[in-house]
Amino acid sequence: MQSLELKQVNKSFGSLQVLSDINLKVEKGEFAVIVGHSGCGKSTALRMFAGLETATTGEVLADGKPIAGPDPQRVMIFQEHALYPWRTVEANVGFGLELAGVDKKEKRARVNAVLDKVGLDGFQRYYPHQLSGGMRQRVAIARALVVDPEVLLLDEPYGALDAITRLQMQNELIKLWRGTGKTMVLITHDIDEAVYLADSIYVMSPRPGRIIQKLTADMPRPRARNSQAFVDLRQQIMDSLDIGTYSI
Amino acid sequence: MTQPASPAPAPQPTNNKAGAVRRRPRLWAKTWPYLAAVGSLLAIWQLAATAIGKPFLLPGVVDVMPRLARIFTNEEFTTGFFKSLYRLALGYPLACLLGALLGLLGGVSKTFAVYLRSLISILQSIPPITWVPFFMILLGFGDLTVITIITIASFFPMALSVLNGTEGVNRTHLEVARTLGASRGQLLTKVFAPESLPAFVTGAQVSFGNAWRSLISAEMVGGASVGLGRYLSYRSEIADMQGVLLSIIVIGTIAAVIDLVLLEKLKRRLLHWRYVSGGDQ
Repeated sequence: MQSLELKQVNKSFGSLQVLSDINLKVEKGEFAVIVGHSGCGKSTALRMFAGLETATTGEVLADGKPIAGPDPQRVMIFQEHALYPWRTVEANVGFGLELAGVDKKEKRARVNAVLDKVGLDGFQRYYPHQLSGGMRQRVAIARALVVDPEVLLLDEPYGALDAITRLQMQNELIKLWRGTGKTMVLITHDIDEAVYLADSIYVMSPRPGRIIQKLTADMPRPRARNSQAFVDLRQQIMDSLDIGTYSI
Repeated sequence: MTQPASPAPAPQPTNNKAGAVRRRPRLWAKTWPYLAAVGSLLAIWQLAATAIGKPFLLPGVVDVMPRLARIFTNEEFTTGFFKSLYRLALGYPLACLLGALLGLLGGVSKTFAVYLRSLISILQSIPPITWVPFFMILLGFGDLTVITIITIASFFPMALSVLNGTEGVNRTHLEVARTLGASRGQLLTKVFAPESLPAFVTGAQVSFGNAWRSLISAEMVGGASVGLGRYLSYRSEIADMQGVLLSIIVIGTIAAVIDLVLLEKLKRRLLHWRYVSGGDQ
């Protein structure tokens, strides 16, 4: 499995500085969550790990080696599921294997296995537009898992889902991840989601994004959302985002 | 966007039989205005013919129809008819292929896209039949000249449509493919191409109109000695108004049939995922 690191990373788009001196290290097998305001550059940081974006200055490392570009060992899951509407569920999930030239029989077996894992067995022949939002996001996760990557990068994967589905998906994600040893980096603006899922939480400031605080969530899983430790951690994050309270 | 408690219950068993049953009334709803349009044109024609009252000048529907029914026994006509279809069958697919290829290339290279747009704007401002004298000298009289003109006239709607299609390709779709390890070639064949298919279908329809018009007009102005267009202009030269009218009918009918039947079938086949019903959208 891979560890991921940003070393003194700065990123500007033209004159707009998006990231400012970011230092961040995600250990092998760790579940890291980056929280921050929308537009704070957290997605940009994640896209650097995916190899879709380069740092203006500083280093982006995987296992201590610079990331040169996209690599199927580090797969990204996008907010808007980004399934191919012209492909069935089966063909969407098998896409990565198809790109790698895996033979048909093995591809089908692996696709079916991963669809079973995300609870979508029997939906092989459906098209994305026939599925609900949650199911589509499950397909997107299956599409990433099927290539068995070392790292999963999730960019606000549940941002577009309703609250109930989102909680359900969080549980499923933890179950899918546990025991795999995969390194996870998830971006969110949902503080509860961060506390519920993460081993470590990075809080980012508004643009230009800096890491304001690194917090460790060491409560055992499954976590109770109303336990004292949970509530304390949530308050800490809100305080560092300066939304903990307000004055009249 | 509701989420079933357990994913097992399918969101309605979809398609095929249910879809086919539903499509029939819709087909009829689309067909009858079309038939009404054809009928009204024929009615205007017949009224005008009756009003003028000189069948050699404007024969009525009733005068032309019997001859139309027998027209395929006329060798002069059938030779021209098949010759025209043969030219279309070569020139039009060639134009589609060329246009789609150029359009896709433009999607990959920005510089090429600018080049292609310039080329298209130049070619678009030259009416296709103005090429007839040029190619008649260069390539001679006949098939090659007409086919070349069809290709020139009909490749650019396809190229333009596919080019616009590739520019509208969803960026996230490309990034998904890249993170899953797609090469440049795979991006082209597995994302750009399928994503541009709707644009390809639109392009095919517009291109067909151009191909057909330029084919008939190239034949009419003398690009070839046989063909539907040539038959039409010859009938006019010998003042055979019945022959002129039935040529017009045949030319219009072929285009309508190809457009409404063949191209519509192609569209449903290529974009079949759009016509699968069910789900929540």
